[in-house]
Amino acid sequence: MNNLLWLVPTLPLVSFLILALAGKHVSRVWVAIIGAGSVSLSAIITLIIGISFLSLPPATGNYSQTLWTWMQVGGFNPKITLFLDALSLIFVFVITFIGALIHIYSVGFMADDKDYSRFFACMNLFVFSMLLLVLADNLLLLYLGWEGVGLCSYLLIGFWYENPANGYAARKAFIITRVGDTAMAIGLFVIFYQFGTLVIPDVLAKAPILWHQGAYMATITALLLLAGGVGKSAQLPLQTWLPDAMAGPSPVSALIHAATMVTAGVYLIARMHVIFQLSPIAQMIVAVIGTATLFIAGLSALTQYDIKRVLAYSTISQIGYMFLALGVGAWTAAIFHFVIHAFFKALLFLAAGAVIEALHHEHNMFKMGGLKNKLPVIFWTFLVGSASLAALPLISAGFYSKDQILWYAWASQSGNPLLWFIALLGAFITALYTTRMMILVFWGEAKTAIGHHPGKLMTVPLIILAFFSLFAGFIELPHNFGHFTLFSNLLHQVLPETVLKAGINTELQFQVLASLSTFGGIYLAYIFYYKQPQRIEKLKQSGFAMNLYFFWFSGWGFDKLYNVLIVKPIVFIANINKNDVVDKLYQGITFVTIRLYQSLSFTQSGSLRWYVMGLVIGAIIILSIQIML
Amino acid sequence: MSGNDFFALTPLLLLAGSSVLIMLLIAIKLSHRVIQLSSLFLFAVAFSSLFFIQKLLPYHIEPLLIMDGFSVFIMGLIIFSSLVVNILSYIYFEEKEDSPKEYYVLLFLCTLGACVLAVSKHFISLFLGLEILTVGLYALIAYLRERHHNIEAGIKYLVLAAFSSAFLLFGMALIYLQTGSMEFSMIARSLTSLQSLSPLFLTGLGMMLVGVGFKLAVVPFHMWTADVYQGAPAPVTAFIATASKGGVFAVLFRFFIMIDGFRFKVVMLILIGIAIASMIIGNLLAVQQKNVKRILAYSSIAHLGYLLVAFMPGSMMSIKAVSFYLIAYFMTTLTAFGIVTILSNKETDAEDIESYKALFWQHPVLACIFSSSLLSLAGIPLTVGFVGKFYILAAGLQAGLWVTALILVISSVIGLYYYLRIITIMFAGQKSILSEEKKANPFFYRVSIIALSVLTLLIIWLGVYPSVVISFMEYFRLK
Repeated sequence: MNNLLWLVPTLPLVSFLILALAGKHVSRVWVAIIGAGSVSLSAIITLIIGISFLSLPPATGNYSQTLWTWMQVGGFNPKITLFLDALSLIFVFVITFIGALIHIYSVGFMADDKDYSRFFACMNLFVFSMLLLVLADNLLLLYLGWEGVGLCSYLLIGFWYENPANGYAARKAFIITRVGDTAMAIGLFVIFYQFGTLVIPDVLAKAPILWHQGAYMATITALLLLAGGVGKSAQLPLQTWLPDAMAGPSPVSALIHAATMVTAGVYLIARMHVIFQLSPIAQMIVAVIGTATLFIAGLSALTQYDIKRVLAYSTISQIGYMFLALGVGAWTAAIFHFVIHAFFKALLFLAAGAVIEALHHEHNMFKMGGLKNKLPVIFWTFLVGSASLAALPLISAGFYSKDQILWYAWASQSGNPLLWFIALLGAFITALYTTRMMILVFWGEAKTAIGHHPGKLMTVPLIILAFFSLFAGFIELPHNFGHFTLFSNLLHQVLPETVLKAGINTELQFQVLASLSTFGGIYLAYIFYYKQPQRIEKLKQSGFAMNLYFFWFSGWGFDKLYNVLIVKPIVFIANINKNDVVDKLYQGITFVTIRLYQSLSFTQSGSLRWYVMGLVIGAIIILSIQIML
Repeated sequence: MSGNDFFALTPLLLLAGSSVLIMLLIAIKLSHRVIQLSSLFLFAVAFSSLFFIQKLLPYHIEPLLIMDGFSVFIMGLIIFSSLVVNILSYIYFEEKEDSPKEYYVLLFLCTLGACVLAVSKHFISLFLGLEILTVGLYALIAYLRERHHNIEAGIKYLVLAAFSSAFLLFGMALIYLQTGSMEFSMIARSLTSLQSLSPLFLTGLGMMLVGVGFKLAVVPFHMWTADVYQGAPAPVTAFIATASKGGVFAVLFRFFIMIDGFRFKVVMLILIGIAIASMIIGNLLAVQQKNVKRILAYSSIAHLGYLLVAFMPGSMMSIKAVSFYLIAYFMTTLTAFGIVTILSNKETDAEDIESYKALFWQHPVLACIFSSSLLSLAGIPLTVGFVGKFYILAAGLQAGLWVTALILVISSVIGLYYYLRIITIMFAGQKSILSEEKKANPFFYRVSIIALSVLTLLIIWLGVYPSVVISFMEYFRLK
């Protein structure tokens, strides 16, 4: 069944082509059927492939399908090959399965939008590019997918382009991720220069032979790739675009800016793990970036009033956990958290979208409230998603994935108490802002009247996602209860096992500490936002607290910093050099070309005599050359 | 002649017979529509007959003709482009002439001439083919006699073609004088027995180059191109740009490979000069040109220059590069002239660049087709033009032709300018000045658009997936 693989990315591509070329002439019903149907079909095919892959695993642990060789000239023969192993299978599953649910949700969510077909065309193109990214067997094809998802992200953030702010957000996202992309492109050049190939399995096989442990080239390459990952995954210092990216429709935020595209960095690092393992410094930097990001973004999430921005900062923070896990060598834990996070964060975004739509596009949480009984389905699913985000012990999937990362941050070979402590603090903050969001939106008194209730198309995907947000954690249970390792066993075909320095018998203490921090966060939010709201008022009196609030609210002033450090100087230089000096060269070329054109066009006089002369002169030149030489 | 000879000649016989048959159909006063459809059918029959003679290949019809993979491939291209031209002709001529039926007879004859060129391996058949082609073209170019540009173009072509044929004939005579033969392989044999190159032979070769250079419209024999392209009816221009040049190029290529002309340093030097001059001057002349037909004429001069770059190494790679580039050039040129044809009206052809303004907003499909063919001419990746140019560069660099390759790249950049200029004009503005869709012949209008869309799909498909045809070209042998 594996040879069906090519269909998985092709279906969304075909659907994109149909909708992009003929979208105007297709009725809305058919747009929905084509747009959502293609991705759903891909999901079904992925399930079939997944079952056959798991029941009859290929001997090599992977399966590759060469679709065609673009051209063959000498040694240059770029092949279009899809590569499926456990890692890409998991990503393909998440992309198609959650993608399908989000597409179905969008059928309802976007029902009244005038650019219905454009929306689905872009979403399909996104799914195709993302699938290409994770299925590519060489880095060039991966880069094509990488840029493709960036383009779709740009198109969809600015989907409602009539509002200039949305266009601004789209450009910001595109340009900032571009910084990382450029570094990554340089990284690819380095890899090609060093190995003479961009085929991923070949590179990974050659790397340990060519580079010794801690080699300086390995560090450079790893850091360049990391820069690409940092840009795409909105990690420090390139995280500033993601909160603004919430300008796009909610399904876009759910699909691109929560579940799939922003985790491309995680995929890249996991895929190229051999290079990172060769450079302990680079791996340490990954862990530090992850930890710093999860902390900074968590505190920013605490101060937002726009529900989608809370979720955006929370996404940055959760991806920080994945980076931390990658950095300490807990490869499978990072991927596990990616899967669980994809479920609950997609759920939260979709539910938030439903709330926002029900309240006449109200984003401000302080103007919501009291929705617990009015939107019961949304409430219960949102509650499940929040529990998973806050890592509520034992019953939520988020607990199993996040607890694993916390424990590895301490116990793995490259783990360290400081990383662990900040991550634990992060877990506390996560629980705090999640509960704050829950209370503000669903409890208290209603401040805005409900417009209309979400339909079945929107609630059913929510329920399915909620189911997975609760139970998906059980595919991987910690050592001390159950020790069920279905997920990591599968991934260990591709990714190395985590080396531990502490014994596994300490794990229980860490789980208790993690649970305590979650409960602590929930309790604190309960006190401040439900039981005794006057305490917040009291805090607002203090100047220090307000300054801190605004500092966190603005995302730690990174936008301002970049404005002063980068944007202003560039604008300044551009102003000085308005008549670009470099342009003179090109103007010179144009001038010469046009002069040449003018003098040559005289020869085209239209006179037959002159043409005959041309022939004769040509003949004379040829014959005289022959006679002289 | 044996039965097999007749069988191998089927395509040529069919073309010749078709012209007679169409003449008879005209005599019994059938309508334009019937004549057009039956000639379309006959072209299709001739095209498919190429597949039936495949198992015979390679087949020699001594001493004049040779049927091998390459010549059948070139014939396929020529007949295919005549077929497309035939499809496009109906709506073009129907509104301009009362009964443009004899046009189809001439089209068959010209196609026959080009095909004879593609299969000839003897000076006699070469000259016969060339004259069948050229004489037909005189009439075709001047076909719309109401327009004074047409007559002018026809006369110019007549005088210059006759002039260049004289050079060609004289060159052949000189070579015959030196080698005692007019058959390519015999000439090659007598050349190997010669101790040193005789000036007589070289002069003959140079004279032939003048004649052939005129037909290919390479610099410095290019000056007629723009005037004739502009004056001729748009479908005929498409035919001159593709079928006529393809046939001449094929026979030149075969001649050089069979006599191994690549070892004569002087001749190669001249060819390099011609190629470089064609690429630069062809592209430069188009830079600020305002007439689309003239732009395409100058661009075809440059493209023949590119082809010469692939031609010069004379290696296996050359054969592949030339064959692939011919496909690319044929398809894109046909598509581009197809758009000009479709947009032309009763009085004038759609040649003024201003008439393409805002075309995209009026006829998005046509604008997209035209854009993709222009992008392919410019050699933008994912179009067939890119792959073709890539192969040319590869063939040139393999033979160490660094200077020519560099000039190819630089002149392509100049080329990009004027191709993109047309594209920007098509997207600029709001209101197109072109008339609404032609209501008169909706059926043929649709058929033409469908044909062009298919060509466009091929342009993109072969740009993404060129290995289909490239693997087929592995088996071309010219010796």
